[in-house]
Amino acid sequence: MISNYELPHEDDQGTVVEVPNYEKEFNNAKMFLQMASTVTGDNLYDHLTEVLNKILAERPENVIDFFEEYSRKVKERRFRPLTDHLEDIYVPPGRYDLSNKLMPVLRPLPPGEPSTVDPEDLEMADMSKNNMMELNYYLEQCGIGLPRIEMCYIMLSIRKLIHTEPISSIRFWGKIFGTLKNYIVLETELKEEEYMKRNETYNQEAENPPETTTEEVVMKGEGGLAEALNELAKVQELPGEGGQSKYPRPLPPEPVILYEEPPEPPPEPSGVGVNKKVYYVCREIGQPWIQLPDLKPKHVRASRQIYKSFTGNLEEPILTYPEFTGNEMEYLRAQIARISAGTQISPLGYYTFGGEGAGEGEEEEEDEEAAGGETKTEYRVNPKYEAPPLKDLLDGSMSFWVHHTQYILPQGRTTWWNPNPMPELGEGMGEELGEGEEPEAPRGGPEPETGPPLLTPLSEDAAVEAVPAWSVRSSSNIIDDFAIVVVRSNLWPGAYCFSTQGKLFQNVYLGYGHKYMEHNFSPLPLPPIQQEYPIGPEIMEVTDPTGAEEEQWRIDHLPKPKPMPPAEEAPHEEAEEEEEEDEDE
Amino acid sequence: MNLNFVLDTLHTTGHFGHVISTEESLVLHNSLLILQNENHFRNVFFWGKIFGAEKDYYIAYGYTRDALHGRIYYYSSNCVRWGLLPQPTKNGLLLTPICSTKFQGDPALVIDVLIEKDETLICGKRKQPQIRKLKEEDRLASTVHLITNESAVIPRGSLFRRPDGVIVENLSFEGLTTLDAREISSFLHLRPPTQKFNTNLLIRDDYNYAMDFLDPLDIDIPEGCWMIQITTAEDLVILKSIYWPGMIFFHYLRSPRHGFVYFGHGKKCMDLPFMLSPFIL
Repeated sequence: MISNYELPHEDDQGTVVEVPNYEKEFNNAKMFLQMASTVTGDNLYDHLTEVLNKILAERPENVIDFFEEYSRKVKERRFRPLTDHLEDIYVPPGRYDLSNKLMPVLRPLPPGEPSTVDPEDLEMADMSKNNMMELNYYLEQCGIGLPRIEMCYIMLSIRKLIHTEPISSIRFWGKIFGTLKNYIVLETELKEEEYMKRNETYNQEAENPPETTTEEVVMKGEGGLAEALNELAKVQELPGEGGQSKYPRPLPPEPVILYEEPPEPPPEPSGVGVNKKVYYVCREIGQPWIQLPDLKPKHVRASRQIYKSFTGNLEEPILTYPEFTGNEMEYLRAQIARISAGTQISPLGYYTFGGEGAGEGEEEEEDEEAAGGETKTEYRVNPKYEAPPLKDLLDGSMSFWVHHTQYILPQGRTTWWNPNPMPELGEGMGEELGEGEEPEAPRGGPEPETGPPLLTPLSEDAAVEAVPAWSVRSSSNIIDDFAIVVVRSNLWPGAYCFSTQGKLFQNVYLGYGHKYMEHNFSPLPLPPIQQEYPIGPEIMEVTDPTGAEEEQWRIDHLPKPKPMPPAEEAPHEEAEEEEEEDEDE
Repeated sequence: MNLNFVLDTLHTTGHFGHVISTEESLVLHNSLLILQNENHFRNVFFWGKIFGAEKDYYIAYGYTRDALHGRIYYYSSNCVRWGLLPQPTKNGLLLTPICSTKFQGDPALVIDVLIEKDETLICGKRKQPQIRKLKEEDRLASTVHLITNESAVIPRGSLFRRPDGVIVENLSFEGLTTLDAREISSFLHLRPPTQKFNTNLLIRDDYNYAMDFLDPLDIDIPEGCWMIQITTAEDLVILKSIYWPGMIFFHYLRSPRHGFVYFGHGKKCMDLPFMLSPFIL
């Protein structure tokens, strides 16, 4: 009111407030924006300043689309507590642990005390084949590979391992992925002395058990199930007949367990067959190498029937049906053995069976070997090996690639072990070690299991239901000169073999450790129920008679002549007795 | 997997053992850029590789506007010539799960699929076993569709739904922290959500309308069908699906870099219940 009145005054003309007063409106707006929130105490003005500052500093593209994200982030940042009570505690970066583990391997080896032993007598494993960086280069061409740091670590730790363990040769085998951790696997051969030392203890352990089991087998095997059942039936009948009083009836004797565990084939000694190689695993970079135990045949057999993922913990129990006796360590060892046996391949002619190798072609040698019919387990590198041409290696029939690891028989061994040896032959260990005895099948005994001999071409591999066992690729479609041949196993997804056009080839496995299955896995059905008692009327399952049938039976069994009512009682009792007797039977 | 990763897969998918080989990566990187240019894609991705007995299939996809619904798939058997992958047909989606043979590598191949009389995967009653025909190209399309739907993964927050409903990549995504990465619910299915929008929102305490519109991984059953591994260096988190062995997802912690890629035979592993350890009480 007053202002209205004063407006016309002349002296106030200069300070008159113009209607669009920008400054005032600006101040009003600013004041409004600066109003602190009653909840958080923040105000929009400062917030917008910060957000715009951030946006102008970072200059992101299409910022309008993400404006609210920016705004939220700035807000979030403001809510960091000002008084950080953990301020003085230093949290090491995540990589710190790894660095600590890596440093010991990254140092050069200590020079070691000067020894008088000739360096050649030290028999250090050959490191020249373990240039993992080179291997990784080739693997990368093939479409597989591990991170460089991992490969480098493996190489360095191999170098360390051969100084501490009695290893005569060592090779990177591959990696098996588990749910929690993965296993890096090394394949080694130990020194002769180490194998001998192990087999001494093995012989002591093995001497007693096989003999007892074989004797038992002979005794029980002749007996036969039927005979034992008859015996049981006789025993059971006796008390039933002789019982004077019907109640309480004598109980049938306790059933006797007739099931006899089939004799367990003894494990192959260290350095032979499936135990020819010893495997070391490591769960992740920086962890120590752990030696896997020797393989037992039962583990191979059980692992064929189960389908279980690895967890990454070697002590984890394997809970499956059929039962797997042992934990993940044994399962891993069994899978490694199966994968090795199935997928370790080499170009034709790289390995050769002993012999002089003078002037003889590989083909001839192989024919000779096949004709001999004797399984050979020793092979060596052919010094005259020349790589087959690229075209041959890429041939889809796979006849230029051969297996160089022995086939594992269904029994779980590479050599067949006879569960019922003939008395004159059976002397525990001798028969098992001598391979000469294998072909001559003992009369009456089971058929010996046989597998394909060593160095069989892959073309012999059976295709599983229209899935060829192997696929072969060239690493390059553009330039053939440096192309690498990649062979991929379809039965063991993850198993690869590559060969350069020179003499270099390598098998590697990078996968989950499971065999390819055409159809879904179905576990073994439960075994039939065991027979406790001989089949007889007592335990026979019959349908209950209906009321009508019972009545019919009663009428049929009524005494035929029923002339006089007083005589009725006696025959009726008889009938009852009859009934009871029937039941007893 | 974003095109930028294609050139250096050794450090990402190498943790799983499979990489894109040197020559492939060079060819892919260039041919996919050309593909992007021809189709005016905003972004182009390498999806993966399906192994065939004779030849392998390479799959790629790109989008022009919507990062989720607007994906267009291409396939190739030599990384150079890319052909449009057809939309999965009804017949293909029905028959693909019961195909037991391997891919051959020839898209024109027609295979016979036998439907058993008592097949449970396909509803409806049959008097006798049926034989239906399926072209390998359709089978490939269905397989890619199934794999993507069931096992393609993104970290939470890397996709952003704008108010107009279009889904774009979140430029301000800064990556998960190590703590978040140990949690299965920090990862989302890259597929049109199957749950109601409020279900997916309410699962989280700190929900965000723009980010929590996809299904999280923890709705998958059984528990344990995803493997989460954080590398020793704590800079990379790797997710693998047991249902689709060969699918691998990686994410550099505290950075926006992430991607998924598939290297496998295109066969679903239905044996999962046997493979996991039973819970011990």
